[in-house]
Amino acid sequence: MTDDTQSGSEREVSEGRNQTQVLEVEGLGHSFGDVDVFSDLSFSLAEGTVTALVGPNGSGKTTLLRAVLGLLDPDEGRVEIERSPDSGRRIGYLPQSPAFRPAFTVEETLQFYADLLEKEVDVSAVLDRVGLSQVPDRRVDALSGGMTRLLGVGQAILGDPGLVVLDEPTGDLDPRMTEYVFDVVADLADDGMGILLATHNLTGAGEADDVLLLDHGDVVMSGSPADFVARTEAEDFRGAFLELTGGEEGAVSIGGADREGEAVGETDADGAADSAAPSAGVQAPGGDDE
Amino acid sequence: MNRRSLDRAFAVVGRELNTVVRTRAFLALSGGFALVVAVLAWTAGAIGYVPLVLDLLTPVEVLVPALALAFGYRSVLGDEERGELDVIRTYPVSRATFVVGVYLGRAAALLVAVVAPLLAVALLVPAFGGVGTQVIASHGATDSPLVYLRFVALTSLFALVLMAAALAVSTTAGTTRSGLVVAIALGVALVVGFDASIVAGLAGGIVPEGGLDVLLALSPNSAFRGLVLETVVGGIASGAPAASPAASVVGLLGWLVGALAVAVLTVWSGTRR
Repeated sequence: MTDDTQSGSEREVSEGRNQTQVLEVEGLGHSFGDVDVFSDLSFSLAEGTVTALVGPNGSGKTTLLRAVLGLLDPDEGRVEIERSPDSGRRIGYLPQSPAFRPAFTVEETLQFYADLLEKEVDVSAVLDRVGLSQVPDRRVDALSGGMTRLLGVGQAILGDPGLVVLDEPTGDLDPRMTEYVFDVVADLADDGMGILLATHNLTGAGEADDVLLLDHGDVVMSGSPADFVARTEAEDFRGAFLELTGGEEGAVSIGGADREGEAVGETDADGAADSAAPSAGVQAPGGDDE
Repeated sequence: MNRRSLDRAFAVVGRELNTVVRTRAFLALSGGFALVVAVLAWTAGAIGYVPLVLDLLTPVEVLVPALALAFGYRSVLGDEERGELDVIRTYPVSRATFVVGVYLGRAAALLVAVVAPLLAVALLVPAFGGVGTQVIASHGATDSPLVYLRFVALTSLFALVLMAAALAVSTTAGTTRSGLVVAIALGVALVVGFDASIVAGLAGGIVPEGGLDVLLALSPNSAFRGLVLETVVGGIASGAPAASPAASVVGLLGWLVGALAVAVLTVWSGTRR
Protein backbone atom coordinates (compact mmCIF):
# COMPACT_ATOMS: atom_id res chain seq x y z
CA MET A 1 0.00 0.00 0.00
CA THR A 2 1.37 3.35 -0.90
CA ASP A 3 0.70 6.97 -0.27
CA ASP A 4 -2.68 7.32 -1.93
CA THR A 5 -4.52 5.28 0.64
CA GLN A 6 -7.70 6.98 1.71
CA SER A 7 -11.22 6.40 2.85
CA GLY A 8 -14.24 8.61 3.01
CA SER A 9 -13.53 9.44 6.62
CA GLU A 10 -9.82 9.56 6.96
CA ARG A 11 -6.65 9.62 4.96
CA GLU A 12 -3.31 8.45 6.14
CA VAL A 13 -0.08 8.92 4.28
CA SER A 14 2.54 6.25 4.48
CA GLU A 15 6.07 6.47 3.30
CA GLY A 16 6.24 6.66 -0.47
CA ARG A 17 8.00 4.03 -2.51
CA ASN A 18 9.21 3.93 -6.08
CA GLN A 19 7.74 0.55 -6.85
CA THR A 20 5.36 -0.56 -9.55
CA GLN A 21 1.80 -0.70 -8.39
CA VAL A 22 0.21 -4.11 -8.82
CA LEU A 23 -3.18 -3.11 -7.42
CA GLU A 24 -5.09 0.14 -7.64
CA VAL A 25 -8.43 0.44 -5.86
CA GLU A 26 -10.29 3.68 -6.33
CA GLY A 27 -13.58 4.85 -4.89
CA LEU A 28 -14.78 1.33 -4.18
CA GLY A 29 -18.20 1.02 -2.65
CA HIS A 30 -20.57 -1.85 -2.07
CA SER A 31 -23.68 -2.58 -0.09
CA PHE A 32 -25.86 -5.58 0.60
CA GLY A 33 -29.36 -4.21 0.50
CA ASP A 34 -29.52 -1.33 2.94
CA VAL A 35 -26.25 -2.26 4.61
CA ASP A 36 -23.21 -0.41 3.34
CA VAL A 37 -20.24 -2.76 3.51
CA PHE A 38 -17.79 -0.08 2.49
CA SER A 39 -17.82 3.14 0.53
CA ASP A 40 -15.33 5.37 -1.26
CA LEU A 41 -12.47 3.05 -0.48
CA SER A 42 -9.17 3.69 -2.22
CA PHE A 43 -5.74 2.22 -1.81
CA SER A 44 -2.92 0.77 -3.84
CA LEU A 45 -0.39 -1.96 -3.38
CA ALA A 46 3.13 -2.14 -4.77
CA GLU A 47 5.05 -5.14 -6.00
CA GLY A 48 7.22 -6.84 -3.45
CA THR A 49 5.19 -5.60 -0.50
CA VAL A 50 2.81 -7.16 1.97
CA THR A 51 -0.33 -5.30 2.96
CA ALA A 52 -2.29 -6.69 5.88
CA LEU A 53 -6.01 -6.07 6.05
CA VAL A 54 -7.08 -6.16 9.68
CA GLY A 55 -10.29 -5.45 11.49
CA PRO A 56 -13.04 -7.15 13.41
CA ASN A 57 -15.36 -9.72 11.94
CA GLY A 58 -17.92 -8.01 9.78
CA SER A 59 -15.68 -5.07 9.01
CA GLY A 60 -15.79 -5.80 5.28
CA LYS A 61 -12.46 -7.53 4.78
CA THR A 62 -13.71 -10.56 2.88
CA THR A 63 -16.12 -8.50 0.79
CA LEU A 64 -13.27 -6.17 -0.12
CA LEU A 65 -11.09 -9.13 -1.08
CA ARG A 66 -13.88 -10.57 -3.20
CA ALA A 67 -14.28 -7.25 -4.98
CA VAL A 68 -10.54 -7.11 -5.63
CA LEU A 69 -10.65 -10.65 -6.96
CA GLY A 70 -13.55 -9.90 -9.28
CA LEU A 71 -15.76 -12.44 -7.53
CA LEU A 72 -18.14 -9.65 -6.65
CA ASP A 73 -19.07 -6.67 -8.76
CA PRO A 74 -18.88 -3.59 -6.53
CA ASP A 75 -21.62 -1.02 -6.74
CA GLU A 76 -19.11 1.72 -7.48
CA GLY A 77 -15.42 2.33 -7.99
CA ARG A 78 -12.79 0.45 -9.92
CA VAL A 79 -10.11 -2.13 -9.36
CA GLU A 80 -7.04 -2.25 -11.59
CA ILE A 81 -4.60 -5.13 -11.50
CA GLU A 82 -1.33 -5.41 -13.35
CA ARG A 83 -1.47 -8.27 -15.81
CA SER A 84 0.97 -11.09 -15.46
CA PRO A 85 2.62 -11.19 -18.86
CA ASP A 86 3.37 -14.90 -19.28
CA SER A 87 0.99 -17.10 -17.40
CA GLY A 88 -2.14 -15.07 -18.08
CA ARG A 89 -2.88 -15.03 -14.37
CA ARG A 90 -2.91 -11.61 -12.82
CA ILE A 91 -4.12 -12.49 -9.37
CA GLY A 92 -3.66 -15.48 -7.11
CA TYR A 93 -6.12 -16.39 -4.38
CA LEU A 94 -6.07 -18.40 -1.20
CA PRO A 95 -9.59 -18.77 0.21
CA GLN A 96 -10.21 -18.61 3.93
CA SER A 97 -10.78 -22.36 4.08
CA PRO A 98 -8.97 -23.86 1.13
CA ALA A 99 -10.24 -27.27 0.08
CA PHE A 100 -9.52 -29.51 -2.85
CA ARG A 101 -10.90 -32.67 -4.35
CA PRO A 102 -9.96 -35.28 -1.77
CA ALA A 103 -9.10 -38.20 -4.01
CA PHE A 104 -6.29 -36.34 -5.76
CA THR A 105 -2.71 -36.15 -4.65
CA VAL A 106 -0.91 -32.94 -3.83
CA GLU A 107 0.96 -32.99 -7.12
CA GLU A 108 -2.11 -33.88 -9.17
CA THR A 109 -4.01 -31.02 -7.60
CA LEU A 110 -1.35 -28.45 -8.37
CA GLN A 111 -0.80 -29.91 -11.84
CA PHE A 112 -4.47 -29.42 -12.64
CA TYR A 113 -4.29 -25.76 -11.75
CA ALA A 114 -0.97 -25.38 -13.56
CA ASP A 115 -2.59 -26.79 -16.70
CA LEU A 116 -5.09 -23.94 -16.63
CA LEU A 117 -2.34 -21.39 -17.15
CA GLU A 118 -1.15 -20.05 -20.47
CA LYS A 119 2.38 -21.28 -19.95
CA GLU A 120 3.84 -24.41 -18.48
CA VAL A 121 4.80 -24.29 -14.83
CA ASP A 122 7.20 -26.52 -12.92
CA VAL A 123 4.89 -27.86 -10.25
CA SER A 124 7.68 -29.52 -8.28
CA ALA A 125 9.40 -26.14 -7.95
CA VAL A 126 6.23 -24.66 -6.50
CA LEU A 127 5.92 -27.56 -4.07
CA ASP A 128 9.46 -26.91 -2.99
CA ARG A 129 8.73 -23.22 -2.63
CA VAL A 130 5.95 -23.80 -0.11
CA GLY A 131 7.59 -26.71 1.66
CA LEU A 132 5.52 -29.59 0.31
CA SER A 133 8.18 -31.22 -1.83
CA GLN A 134 8.29 -34.23 0.48
CA VAL A 135 4.64 -35.14 0.04
CA PRO A 136 3.77 -34.85 -3.67
CA ASP A 137 2.03 -38.21 -3.71
CA ARG A 138 0.01 -37.72 -0.56
CA ARG A 139 -3.73 -37.56 -1.09
CA VAL A 140 -5.35 -34.25 -0.24
CA ASP A 141 -7.67 -35.89 2.29
CA ALA A 142 -4.61 -37.13 4.16
CA LEU A 143 -3.12 -33.66 4.60
CA SER A 144 -3.15 -31.77 7.87
CA GLY A 145 -4.84 -28.39 8.04
CA GLY A 146 -1.51 -26.62 7.79
CA MET A 147 -0.38 -28.61 4.81
CA THR A 148 -3.71 -28.01 3.08
CA ARG A 149 -3.17 -24.31 3.68
CA LEU A 150 0.29 -24.53 2.17
CA LEU A 151 -1.11 -26.39 -0.81
CA GLY A 152 -3.52 -23.49 -1.13
CA VAL A 153 -0.63 -21.05 -1.03
CA GLY A 154 1.13 -23.11 -3.70
CA GLN A 155 -1.98 -22.94 -5.83
CA ALA A 156 -2.25 -19.19 -5.23
CA ILE A 157 1.23 -18.47 -6.53
CA LEU A 158 1.06 -20.69 -9.61
CA GLY A 159 1.93 -18.69 -12.67
CA ASP A 160 3.65 -15.98 -10.62
CA PRO A 161 0.72 -13.57 -10.51
CA GLY A 162 1.67 -10.02 -9.71
CA LEU A 163 -0.85 -9.88 -6.89
CA VAL A 164 -1.66 -12.63 -4.40
CA VAL A 165 -4.71 -12.35 -2.16
CA LEU A 166 -4.66 -14.44 0.99
CA ASP A 167 -7.79 -14.64 3.12
CA GLU A 168 -6.85 -15.66 6.67
CA PRO A 169 -3.79 -17.66 5.63
CA THR A 170 -3.08 -18.71 9.20
CA GLY A 171 -6.56 -19.27 10.52
CA ASP A 172 -6.76 -22.34 12.78
CA LEU A 173 -3.08 -23.10 12.39
CA ASP A 174 -0.77 -23.90 15.26
CA PRO A 175 1.90 -21.32 16.20
CA ARG A 176 4.73 -23.04 14.41
CA MET A 177 2.78 -23.44 11.18
CA THR A 178 1.54 -19.87 11.50
CA GLU A 179 5.09 -18.61 11.67
CA TYR A 180 6.07 -20.81 8.74
CA VAL A 181 3.22 -19.51 6.59
CA PHE A 182 4.18 -15.90 7.32
CA ASP A 183 7.77 -16.76 6.41
CA VAL A 184 6.55 -18.14 3.10
CA VAL A 185 4.49 -14.99 2.54
CA ALA A 186 7.54 -12.81 3.24
CA ASP A 187 9.57 -14.87 0.76
CA LEU A 188 6.91 -14.38 -1.90
CA ALA A 189 7.09 -10.62 -1.38
CA ASP A 190 10.86 -10.78 -1.57
CA ASP A 191 10.38 -12.47 -4.95
CA GLY A 192 8.43 -9.45 -6.13
CA MET A 193 4.82 -10.44 -5.60
CA GLY A 194 2.39 -7.99 -4.09
CA ILE A 195 0.58 -9.65 -1.19
CA LEU A 196 -2.79 -8.55 0.15
CA LEU A 197 -3.77 -10.61 3.16
CA ALA A 198 -6.66 -10.45 5.55
CA THR A 199 -5.74 -11.66 8.98
CA HIS A 200 -6.66 -11.63 12.64
CA ASN A 201 -3.10 -12.46 13.56
CA LEU A 202 -1.61 -9.22 14.86
CA THR A 203 1.88 -10.62 15.12
CA GLY A 204 1.87 -11.45 11.43
CA ALA A 205 0.15 -8.20 10.53
CA GLY A 206 2.81 -6.32 12.47
CA GLU A 207 5.43 -7.74 10.13
CA ALA A 208 3.68 -6.49 7.01
CA ASP A 209 4.93 -3.50 5.08
CA ASP A 210 1.58 -1.80 5.37
CA VAL A 211 -1.57 -2.30 7.35
CA LEU A 212 -5.10 -1.31 6.43
CA LEU A 213 -7.39 -1.20 9.46
CA LEU A 214 -11.02 -1.60 8.49
CA ASP A 215 -14.04 -1.12 10.66
CA HIS A 216 -17.59 -1.02 9.39
CA GLY A 217 -16.29 -0.49 5.90
CA ASP A 218 -14.19 2.53 6.76
CA VAL A 219 -10.43 2.67 6.79
CA VAL A 220 -9.80 3.60 10.40
CA MET A 221 -6.12 3.94 9.69
CA SER A 222 -3.56 2.82 7.17
CA GLY A 223 0.18 2.90 7.07
CA SER A 224 3.16 0.91 8.19
CA PRO A 225 3.06 -0.89 11.54
CA ALA A 226 5.51 1.75 12.76
CA ASP A 227 3.00 4.43 11.77
CA PHE A 228 0.40 2.72 13.91
CA VAL A 229 2.75 2.60 16.87
CA ALA A 230 3.75 6.24 16.38
CA ARG A 231 0.15 7.34 16.03
CA THR A 232 -0.92 5.69 19.26
CA GLU A 233 2.35 5.76 21.17
CA ALA A 234 1.79 2.13 22.06
CA GLU A 235 4.76 -0.17 22.60
CA ASP A 236 4.06 -2.38 19.64
CA PHE A 237 1.66 -2.86 16.77
CA ARG A 238 -0.61 -5.11 18.76
CA GLY A 239 -0.97 -2.47 21.43
CA ALA A 240 -1.62 0.13 18.78
CA PHE A 241 -4.31 -1.99 17.23
CA LEU A 242 -6.02 -2.49 20.56
CA GLU A 243 -5.83 1.17 21.34
CA LEU A 244 -7.21 2.21 17.99
CA THR A 245 -10.05 -0.25 18.16
CA GLY A 246 -10.78 0.36 21.82
CA GLY A 247 -10.33 -3.35 22.41
CA GLU A 248 -9.39 -5.25 25.49
CA GLU A 249 -8.42 -8.83 25.98
CA GLY A 250 -11.32 -10.98 24.86
CA ALA A 251 -13.63 -8.14 23.93
CA VAL A 252 -13.64 -5.35 21.42
CA SER A 253 -15.57 -2.15 21.41
CA ILE A 254 -15.70 -0.63 18.00
CA GLY A 255 -18.28 1.78 16.80
CA GLY A 256 -19.93 1.73 20.19
CA ALA A 257 -20.71 -1.99 20.19
CA ASP A 258 -19.06 -4.57 22.38
CA ARG A 259 -18.20 -7.76 20.57
CA GLU A 260 -17.41 -10.53 22.92
CA GLY A 261 -14.95 -13.02 21.51
CA GLU A 262 -14.79 -11.47 18.08
CA ALA A 263 -11.82 -10.32 16.10
CA VAL A 264 -9.45 -9.11 18.73
CA GLY A 265 -10.40 -11.90 21.06
CA GLU A 266 -9.30 -14.31 18.37
CA THR A 267 -6.33 -12.12 17.62
CA ASP A 268 -5.23 -12.13 21.18
CA ALA A 269 -5.32 -15.86 21.23
CA ASP A 270 -3.21 -15.97 18.11
CA GLY A 271 -0.91 -13.33 19.38
CA ALA A 272 -0.37 -15.02 22.69
CA ALA A 273 0.27 -18.27 20.97
CA ASP A 274 2.70 -16.63 18.62
CA SER A 275 4.66 -15.10 21.42
CA ALA A 276 5.06 -18.54 22.87
CA ALA A 277 6.04 -20.06 19.57
CA PRO A 278 9.60 -21.25 19.15
CA SER A 279 11.63 -18.71 17.26
CA ALA A 280 13.77 -21.35 15.67
CA GLY A 281 13.36 -24.86 14.43
CA VAL A 282 10.29 -24.19 12.33
CA GLN A 283 10.19 -27.29 10.27
CA ALA A 284 8.94 -27.33 6.75
CA PRO A 285 5.61 -29.12 6.71
CA GLY A 286 5.66 -32.64 5.48
CA GLY A 287 7.56 -33.82 8.46
CA ASP A 288 5.68 -34.07 11.69
CA ASP A 289 3.13 -31.38 11.02
CA GLU A 290 0.32 -33.87 11.40
CA MET B 1 -9.66 -22.16 -29.74
CA ASN B 2 -5.87 -22.30 -29.60
CA ARG B 3 -3.68 -25.15 -28.43
CA ARG B 4 -3.42 -23.87 -24.89
CA SER B 5 -7.18 -23.44 -24.63
CA LEU B 6 -7.57 -27.05 -25.68
CA ASP B 7 -5.04 -28.08 -23.08
CA ARG B 8 -7.05 -26.25 -20.44
CA ALA B 9 -10.25 -27.95 -21.54
CA PHE B 10 -8.56 -31.36 -21.44
CA ALA B 11 -7.19 -30.59 -18.00
CA VAL B 12 -10.75 -30.07 -16.78
CA VAL B 13 -11.92 -33.19 -18.61
CA GLY B 14 -9.22 -35.29 -16.97
CA ARG B 15 -9.96 -33.88 -13.54
CA GLU B 16 -13.65 -34.67 -13.84
CA LEU B 17 -13.16 -38.14 -15.25
CA ASN B 18 -10.65 -39.01 -12.54
CA THR B 19 -12.88 -37.57 -9.87
CA VAL B 20 -15.83 -39.73 -10.87
CA VAL B 21 -14.02 -43.01 -11.47
CA ARG B 22 -12.18 -42.74 -8.15
CA THR B 23 -15.37 -42.61 -6.13
CA ARG B 24 -16.95 -45.68 -4.59
CA ALA B 25 -20.32 -44.40 -5.76
CA PHE B 26 -19.22 -44.76 -9.36
CA LEU B 27 -18.24 -48.38 -8.85
CA ALA B 28 -21.41 -49.12 -6.94
CA LEU B 29 -23.81 -47.41 -9.34
CA SER B 30 -22.20 -48.56 -12.55
CA GLY B 31 -21.86 -52.06 -11.13
CA GLY B 32 -25.50 -52.01 -10.12
CA PHE B 33 -26.54 -50.90 -13.59
CA ALA B 34 -24.44 -53.62 -15.20
CA LEU B 35 -25.95 -56.22 -12.90
CA VAL B 36 -29.52 -55.16 -13.71
CA VAL B 37 -28.83 -55.22 -17.43
CA ALA B 38 -27.16 -58.63 -17.22
CA VAL B 39 -29.95 -60.16 -15.15
CA LEU B 40 -32.64 -58.81 -17.46
CA ALA B 41 -30.86 -60.06 -20.55
CA TRP B 42 -30.21 -63.45 -19.03
CA THR B 43 -33.71 -64.01 -17.69
CA ALA B 44 -35.30 -62.86 -20.96
CA GLY B 45 -33.37 -65.52 -22.80
CA ALA B 46 -31.59 -63.23 -25.24
CA ILE B 47 -33.54 -64.70 -28.12
CA GLY B 48 -32.66 -61.84 -30.44
CA TYR B 49 -31.34 -58.29 -30.60
CA VAL B 50 -34.67 -56.56 -31.01
CA PRO B 51 -36.27 -58.55 -28.18
CA LEU B 52 -33.26 -57.64 -26.08
CA VAL B 53 -33.80 -53.98 -26.88
CA LEU B 54 -37.45 -54.26 -25.85
CA ASP B 55 -36.42 -55.92 -22.60
CA LEU B 56 -33.88 -53.22 -21.81
CA LEU B 57 -35.73 -50.12 -23.02
CA THR B 58 -37.74 -49.34 -19.92
CA PRO B 59 -34.94 -50.10 -17.43
CA VAL B 60 -32.60 -47.90 -19.46
CA GLU B 61 -35.18 -45.11 -19.46
CA VAL B 62 -35.28 -45.24 -15.68
CA LEU B 63 -31.70 -46.03 -14.74
CA VAL B 64 -29.73 -43.83 -17.15
CA PRO B 65 -31.32 -40.62 -15.82
CA ALA B 66 -30.58 -41.83 -12.30
CA LEU B 67 -26.94 -42.49 -13.17
CA ALA B 68 -26.53 -39.19 -15.00
CA LEU B 69 -28.00 -37.15 -12.19
CA ALA B 70 -25.99 -39.05 -9.59
CA PHE B 71 -22.71 -38.53 -11.46
CA GLY B 72 -23.39 -34.95 -12.45
CA TYR B 73 -25.45 -33.02 -9.95
CA ARG B 74 -22.51 -32.17 -7.67
CA SER B 75 -19.93 -31.66 -10.41
CA VAL B 76 -19.75 -27.87 -10.23
CA LEU B 77 -21.69 -27.57 -6.99
CA GLY B 78 -18.93 -29.40 -5.13
CA ASP B 79 -16.34 -26.98 -6.45
CA GLU B 80 -18.52 -24.07 -5.43
CA GLU B 81 -19.06 -25.37 -1.90
CA ARG B 82 -15.36 -26.06 -1.39
CA GLY B 83 -14.46 -22.62 -2.71
CA GLU B 84 -12.54 -24.09 -5.63
CA LEU B 85 -14.78 -22.41 -8.16
CA ASP B 86 -13.67 -19.00 -6.86
CA VAL B 87 -10.07 -20.15 -7.18
CA ILE B 88 -10.58 -21.45 -10.71
CA ARG B 89 -11.95 -18.07 -11.70
CA THR B 90 -8.57 -16.51 -10.99
CA TYR B 91 -7.10 -18.59 -13.81
CA PRO B 92 -7.35 -17.71 -17.49
CA VAL B 93 -10.13 -20.16 -18.22
CA SER B 94 -13.46 -19.13 -19.70
CA ARG B 95 -16.84 -20.23 -18.44
CA ALA B 96 -17.50 -22.14 -21.65
CA THR B 97 -14.17 -23.96 -21.53
CA PHE B 98 -14.70 -24.92 -17.92
CA VAL B 99 -18.29 -26.08 -18.37
CA VAL B 100 -17.55 -28.04 -21.52
CA GLY B 101 -14.58 -29.66 -19.82
CA VAL B 102 -16.67 -30.66 -16.83
CA TYR B 103 -19.38 -31.95 -19.12
CA LEU B 104 -17.09 -34.04 -21.29
CA GLY B 105 -15.31 -35.56 -18.30
CA ARG B 106 -18.50 -36.53 -16.51
CA ALA B 107 -20.16 -37.67 -19.73
CA ALA B 108 -17.21 -39.91 -20.53
CA ALA B 109 -17.57 -41.64 -17.17
CA LEU B 110 -21.30 -42.02 -17.68
CA LEU B 111 -20.86 -43.48 -21.15
CA VAL B 112 -18.40 -46.05 -19.84
CA ALA B 113 -20.87 -47.05 -17.14
CA VAL B 114 -23.80 -47.31 -19.55
CA VAL B 115 -22.37 -48.50 -22.84
CA ALA B 116 -20.05 -51.22 -21.60
CA PRO B 117 -22.79 -53.36 -19.99
CA LEU B 118 -25.09 -52.86 -22.98
CA LEU B 119 -22.41 -54.06 -25.38
CA ALA B 120 -21.47 -56.92 -23.10
CA VAL B 121 -24.99 -58.37 -22.89
CA ALA B 122 -25.30 -58.22 -26.65
CA LEU B 123 -22.83 -61.10 -26.72
CA LEU B 124 -25.49 -63.26 -25.08
CA VAL B 125 -27.56 -63.25 -28.28
CA PRO B 126 -25.14 -65.13 -30.53
CA ALA B 127 -23.93 -67.20 -27.62
CA PHE B 128 -27.26 -68.38 -26.27
CA GLY B 129 -29.91 -66.82 -28.51
CA GLY B 130 -32.68 -68.85 -30.11
CA VAL B 131 -32.64 -67.19 -33.54
CA GLY B 132 -29.99 -66.73 -36.13
CA THR B 133 -28.34 -63.37 -36.66
CA GLN B 134 -27.14 -61.55 -39.72
CA VAL B 135 -24.14 -59.29 -39.90
CA ILE B 136 -25.80 -56.65 -42.02
CA ALA B 137 -29.34 -55.47 -41.65
CA SER B 138 -30.82 -55.11 -45.09
CA HIS B 139 -33.98 -53.49 -43.84
CA GLY B 140 -35.66 -52.56 -40.67
CA ALA B 141 -37.35 -55.90 -40.15
CA THR B 142 -34.04 -57.71 -39.74
CA ASP B 143 -32.86 -58.60 -36.29
CA SER B 144 -29.13 -57.90 -36.40
CA PRO B 145 -26.23 -56.60 -34.33
CA LEU B 146 -26.43 -53.32 -36.21
CA VAL B 147 -29.96 -52.77 -34.98
CA TYR B 148 -28.74 -53.30 -31.48
CA LEU B 149 -25.80 -50.96 -32.02
CA ARG B 150 -28.31 -48.34 -33.11
CA PHE B 151 -30.03 -48.79 -29.76
CA VAL B 152 -26.69 -48.37 -27.96
CA ALA B 153 -25.96 -45.23 -29.96
CA LEU B 154 -29.36 -43.76 -29.13
CA THR B 155 -28.84 -44.67 -25.49
CA SER B 156 -25.52 -42.83 -25.60
CA LEU B 157 -27.22 -39.74 -26.99
CA PHE B 158 -29.86 -40.05 -24.28
CA ALA B 159 -27.14 -40.27 -21.63
CA LEU B 160 -25.33 -37.23 -23.04
CA VAL B 161 -28.53 -35.19 -22.89
CA LEU B 162 -29.19 -36.21 -19.31
CA MET B 163 -25.65 -35.41 -18.22
CA ALA B 164 -26.10 -31.92 -19.66
CA ALA B 165 -29.27 -31.58 -17.63
CA ALA B 166 -27.45 -32.79 -14.51
CA LEU B 167 -24.72 -30.24 -15.10
CA ALA B 168 -27.31 -27.48 -15.42
CA VAL B 169 -28.74 -28.57 -12.08
CA SER B 170 -25.25 -28.41 -10.61
CA THR B 171 -24.56 -24.87 -11.78
CA THR B 172 -27.93 -23.47 -10.77
CA ALA B 173 -28.37 -25.09 -7.36
CA GLY B 174 -27.11 -23.17 -4.36
CA THR B 175 -26.42 -26.05 -2.02
CA THR B 176 -25.98 -29.80 -2.11
CA ARG B 177 -29.39 -30.22 -0.50
CA SER B 178 -31.18 -28.07 -3.06
CA GLY B 179 -29.19 -29.70 -5.85
CA LEU B 180 -30.25 -33.13 -4.67
CA VAL B 181 -33.89 -32.08 -4.41
CA VAL B 182 -33.88 -30.59 -7.89
CA ALA B 183 -32.08 -33.62 -9.32
CA ILE B 184 -34.59 -36.03 -7.81
CA ALA B 185 -37.50 -33.88 -8.95
CA LEU B 186 -36.09 -33.69 -12.45
CA GLY B 187 -35.54 -37.43 -12.54
CA VAL B 188 -39.08 -38.18 -11.44
CA ALA B 189 -40.47 -35.65 -13.89
CA LEU B 190 -38.50 -37.15 -16.76
CA VAL B 191 -39.32 -40.76 -15.97
CA VAL B 192 -42.99 -40.51 -15.08
CA GLY B 193 -44.12 -36.92 -14.80
CA PHE B 194 -44.07 -35.87 -18.40
CA ASP B 195 -45.73 -39.03 -19.74
CA ALA B 196 -48.35 -38.88 -17.01
CA SER B 197 -49.10 -35.29 -17.97
CA ILE B 198 -49.55 -36.23 -21.61
CA VAL B 199 -51.86 -39.13 -20.72
CA ALA B 200 -53.86 -36.84 -18.49
CA GLY B 201 -53.96 -34.24 -21.24
CA LEU B 202 -55.18 -36.76 -23.78
CA ALA B 203 -57.80 -38.12 -21.41
CA GLY B 204 -59.03 -34.65 -20.63
CA GLY B 205 -59.05 -33.58 -24.24
CA ILE B 206 -56.53 -30.86 -23.62
CA VAL B 207 -53.85 -32.43 -25.81
CA PRO B 208 -54.85 -33.07 -29.41
CA GLU B 209 -53.85 -36.47 -30.74
CA GLY B 210 -52.49 -34.86 -33.87
CA GLY B 211 -49.74 -33.10 -31.99
CA LEU B 212 -48.73 -36.06 -29.91
CA ASP B 213 -45.53 -36.80 -31.82
CA VAL B 214 -44.27 -33.29 -31.23
CA LEU B 215 -45.25 -33.33 -27.59
CA LEU B 216 -43.41 -36.59 -27.06
CA ALA B 217 -40.28 -35.00 -28.47
CA LEU B 218 -40.26 -32.38 -25.74
CA SER B 219 -39.20 -34.82 -23.04
CA PRO B 220 -35.81 -36.56 -23.32
CA ASN B 221 -37.30 -39.84 -22.15
CA SER B 222 -40.21 -39.73 -24.57
CA ALA B 223 -37.98 -38.63 -27.40
CA PHE B 224 -35.52 -41.41 -26.70
CA ARG B 225 -38.27 -43.99 -26.44
CA GLY B 226 -39.83 -42.75 -29.64
CA LEU B 227 -36.55 -42.91 -31.49
CA VAL B 228 -35.87 -46.45 -30.30
CA LEU B 229 -39.35 -47.62 -31.19
CA GLU B 230 -39.23 -46.00 -34.60
CA THR B 231 -35.68 -46.68 -35.70
CA VAL B 232 -34.82 -49.89 -33.86
CA VAL B 233 -38.05 -51.72 -33.15
CA GLY B 234 -40.27 -50.01 -35.69
CA GLY B 235 -39.44 -52.31 -38.58
CA ILE B 236 -40.92 -55.32 -36.91
CA ALA B 237 -43.62 -53.55 -35.01
CA SER B 238 -47.02 -52.82 -36.42
CA GLY B 239 -49.37 -49.93 -36.02
CA ALA B 240 -49.13 -46.20 -36.41
CA PRO B 241 -45.87 -44.36 -35.70
CA ALA B 242 -45.50 -43.52 -32.03
CA ALA B 243 -43.26 -40.53 -32.50
CA SER B 244 -41.59 -38.42 -35.13
CA PRO B 245 -37.89 -39.38 -35.36
CA ALA B 246 -36.98 -35.92 -36.64
CA ALA B 247 -38.87 -34.17 -33.90
CA SER B 248 -37.34 -36.52 -31.32
CA VAL B 249 -33.81 -35.80 -32.51
CA VAL B 250 -34.50 -32.07 -32.45
CA GLY B 251 -35.97 -32.43 -28.99
CA LEU B 252 -32.95 -34.27 -27.64
CA LEU B 253 -30.49 -31.86 -29.23
CA GLY B 254 -32.51 -28.95 -27.90
CA TRP B 255 -32.23 -30.31 -24.38
CA LEU B 256 -28.50 -30.92 -24.85
CA VAL B 257 -27.71 -27.45 -26.16
CA GLY B 258 -30.16 -25.70 -23.87
CA ALA B 259 -28.89 -27.39 -20.73
CA LEU B 260 -25.27 -26.66 -21.60
CA ALA B 261 -26.15 -23.05 -22.35
CA VAL B 262 -27.81 -22.74 -18.95
CA ALA B 263 -24.74 -24.26 -17.33
CA VAL B 264 -22.37 -21.84 -19.07
CA LEU B 265 -24.50 -18.82 -18.22
CA THR B 266 -24.97 -19.73 -14.57
CA VAL B 267 -21.67 -21.30 -13.60
CA TRP B 268 -20.40 -17.95 -12.36
CA SER B 269 -20.86 -14.25 -12.83
CA GLY B 270 -18.76 -11.21 -12.10
CA THR B 271 -15.60 -9.87 -13.61
CA ARG B 272 -12.60 -12.08 -14.18
CA ARG B 273 -9.50 -10.15 -13.33
